[in-house]
Amino acid sequence: MAVLETGAAPTPKVALRPRGVSRREGWQRRLPLLPALIYIVVVTQIPFLVTLWYSFQSYFFDVPAPAHFIGFSNYTTVFTNAAFRGSLVRSVVMTATSVILAMLLGIAFAVLLDRKFLGRGVVRTLIITPFLVMPAAAALVWAGPMLDPNFGLLNYLLEPFGVHHVAWLSTHALGSVIVVMIWQWTPFMTLIVLAGLQSQPSDTLEAAKVDGAGALATFRELTLPHLRPYIELGILLGSIYLVNAFDAVRLMTNGGPGTATTNLPFYLYQQVNFAFDVGGAAAAGVVTVILTIIVATFALRMFARVFQFEEASG
Amino acid sequence: MTALPLRPGHSGRPRPQRLREMSGRAGWGIVAWVVAIAFFLPVLWMVITAFKPESAAETWPPQFIFKPTLSEFRLVFSGMGPFLTHSVVATVGSTILVVLLSVPAAYALSVHPVKHWRDGLFFFISTKMLPIVAAIGPLYVIALHLHLLDSIWLLIILYTAMNLPLAIWMIRSFMLEVPRELLEAARLDGAGRIREITGVILPIISPGLVSTALICVIFAWNELFLALNLTVTNAATMPMYLISSVPQEGLYIAHLSAAATIASVPVILVGWIAQRSLVRGLSMGAIK
Amino acid sequence: MAQVKYVSASRVYAKGAPPAVDALDLDIEDGEFMVLVGPSGSGKTTALRMLAGLEPLDGGSVEIGDRDVTFVPPKDRDIAMVFQNYALYPQKTVAENMGFALKMQRVPREQRDRRVREAARLLDLDDQLLERKPKQLSGGQRQRVAMGRAIVREPKVFLMDEPLSNLDAKLRVQTRGQIAELQRRLGITTVYVTHDQVEAMTMGHRVAVLRDGQLQQCATPRQLYDNPVNEFVAGFIGSPAMNLQTVPLTDGGARLAGATLPLPAAVRAAASTAGLSELVIGIRPEHLHLANGSGELGGEVMLVEELGADSLLHVRLAESGNAVVARAEGRKPPIPGQKVTFHVQLEDIFAFHPGTGARLAG
Repeated sequence: MAVLETGAAPTPKVALRPRGVSRREGWQRRLPLLPALIYIVVVTQIPFLVTLWYSFQSYFFDVPAPAHFIGFSNYTTVFTNAAFRGSLVRSVVMTATSVILAMLLGIAFAVLLDRKFLGRGVVRTLIITPFLVMPAAAALVWAGPMLDPNFGLLNYLLEPFGVHHVAWLSTHALGSVIVVMIWQWTPFMTLIVLAGLQSQPSDTLEAAKVDGAGALATFRELTLPHLRPYIELGILLGSIYLVNAFDAVRLMTNGGPGTATTNLPFYLYQQVNFAFDVGGAAAAGVVTVILTIIVATFALRMFARVFQFEEASG
Repeated sequence: MTALPLRPGHSGRPRPQRLREMSGRAGWGIVAWVVAIAFFLPVLWMVITAFKPESAAETWPPQFIFKPTLSEFRLVFSGMGPFLTHSVVATVGSTILVVLLSVPAAYALSVHPVKHWRDGLFFFISTKMLPIVAAIGPLYVIALHLHLLDSIWLLIILYTAMNLPLAIWMIRSFMLEVPRELLEAARLDGAGRIREITGVILPIISPGLVSTALICVIFAWNELFLALNLTVTNAATMPMYLISSVPQEGLYIAHLSAAATIASVPVILVGWIAQRSLVRGLSMGAIK
Repeated sequence: MAQVKYVSASRVYAKGAPPAVDALDLDIEDGEFMVLVGPSGSGKTTALRMLAGLEPLDGGSVEIGDRDVTFVPPKDRDIAMVFQNYALYPQKTVAENMGFALKMQRVPREQRDRRVREAARLLDLDDQLLERKPKQLSGGQRQRVAMGRAIVREPKVFLMDEPLSNLDAKLRVQTRGQIAELQRRLGITTVYVTHDQVEAMTMGHRVAVLRDGQLQQCATPRQLYDNPVNEFVAGFIGSPAMNLQTVPLTDGGARLAGATLPLPAAVRAAASTAGLSELVIGIRPEHLHLANGSGELGGEVMLVEELGADSLLHVRLAESGNAVVARAEGRKPPIPGQKVTFHVQLEDIFAFHPGTGARLAG
């Protein structure tokens, strides 16, 4: 047979159907997707289109005049506005710091939880609890009972170390807000990393032992590379949520003192609720969206890598 | 063939290796416990403070021994009714809608994927990356024109959109784990698409479905930004009640702690009970 | 350069449970290829892992080259192990996988590369494969990388845990030969675990048969085959398995298939000292000789399995109706339904105690 086939490409005996799926089949496949797709387009994309439209309008809630076209002047304001730029920077700092620190803590906790010890289930329960606490409640409890300069628990616990009635929310506002965000998102990171640790095949770890690797070398050489997609996913999902962080800022410091903790969400909230400037807020929103898209493009590449990982691992 | 008796002393006496192992284990255990308790402390302190009378809540040094009272809880309960109803309706309503929309969508992105399933999935995820805060002004205006402002329906609609992408991603991951042979066997047995979903896939992924719903519940229940901007009284939710419990003056820390405890407890309890499911949902579902 | 010694080594997984490995005593000589074989649950893998240091001992000790390593962690035992699923490091390339142990020993990079390439050549691994990740390799290639990772180490002892069980039948036979050949060339003491008695027989210098955590017999393949110490070893070693029948004792010998099978005098003597009224006799399939109606044992052919060079007859014996397997010549075997008789030579009959399974006077 092999000799016979060397001359020409073998011709199939049966006429092949055109490649791909039939049109009918295609629609049968698409149909279940449509409700969710239409829903998400209508609910999330239309407001952004409207935002785009308003960003070229002058429109104030508190002014009876109808919205009217003013060209790029809202954008000019946004770009020349130090408050906007400041809030942008603070958003980046807040998100990056809290996500990275939460991830580092999460890795440490996951390594702890991956070991067998007495009461591991209870310890895990305790560690995931902050993620379950309502962010508004967390913010208020941290702001009051925990961090208050006069009766807060933290000052009491730190008194032996020479800390006396520190007004955390005035002197370390940004740090305090970040601490609360880390506290709430560390459990999330812990769980993702823990899943990664527990999916590591035990025989490669044994192979490493036999190959003469100590605990640290095993972690650095084998565990960390194995955890990489899990860490990336945790950072990505954490960033998605934390870039929108509002509750802690609004309830702990109200953006202050001054603008020390005003991040983008809080800035936009102020624009709409107190300056009543729909047009200005819309322009700021559009700029935010464009910046997010740039960042998200990189993030989506990360997702693509997660996919490759998924396919490779079957 | 008769079992040789173990040499005396070999199994009874703990060996050095075992001892080292046991002490190492205990050492890690202590570290883990210390860390966990420190991490849990704010929650514990919140609950403790909630049982204090107002006069014992704002003292220096903080009081650890006091006569517990339920008076703050009673106060919180008395004004909570409508907020609780709104929160439950918005949370449950949006979660049901999310599940109804995401199961078919996840199916179309995994089991019999549409041609551009990758793009589709990326689109859903990318909507999660657009900060909803950016559109808050126009959202307000749209809601105003649609007469949806301060309505529970508005929250249901928005919370659904907020949770849908993550739900699709997670449910899709669970569906990918359904063995292909099982689906093919169902096909050979004459099951159509609907039967395939309801008869084969849903029973297998139901734990995953539960954890997905759970995560949607957590995010919807805890949401503040949209509620604060788009509702006033007719649809105000528990987080807003919590804010309203902070008065401008006077002693309020015990009251605040009681309100925070009550607002958080439903999700904490559900999370604790369904912990395995939650862990699976957050981790396995998210990545595999 | 090391002999290996198990001294009443025991492992108990749970309190009260029977030991997974029960007071194992085994001496493995320097450069020897020792196969641990047994059915699943026999403790063979546990025994290997005890030697590797991956499983603690609950009693006794293990020694490698005169050094008691019972409490030495795996990394300090100077051993290399090939795992059943290879346990290659998925994020590392083939070269990195093979050189990992050397890296841990802080061997300089050039020397590492050289040794990896040498090992790769020894195993017929192409140079371009060295830069691939394990996922991009075929099953056979992965197996060779796992072997390579062990070889590069130049360890005192090779430990292999069913390294061929994930290969397809043909590749398994081929690799079997290569491993045995390689071991002979390198001369490194090897402990090899398998459940496949063919692998055990073909590869091992000596084979240790385990069952329920206890060593049954440790001997050369030939001795195991010709001289099994008990019913279990007799039934486990050999394919197709030895025909084992519990039969009543009579004055002339043992009663089987309506005939009296003569037994060696020593067996009869042993049976009578033990006061037995019945015993287990074992006859290997190739020792049932077709005898054209003149044999002692009669029966009806139920099924014929043609293997090419020879064929296997599944025969239902007359009277007792018990099934036995006989090996017959390949050409013109009897057909199903045909009545046949077999002749058995006296010295080919094994006899075992029906209670303990111990061999009665070989």
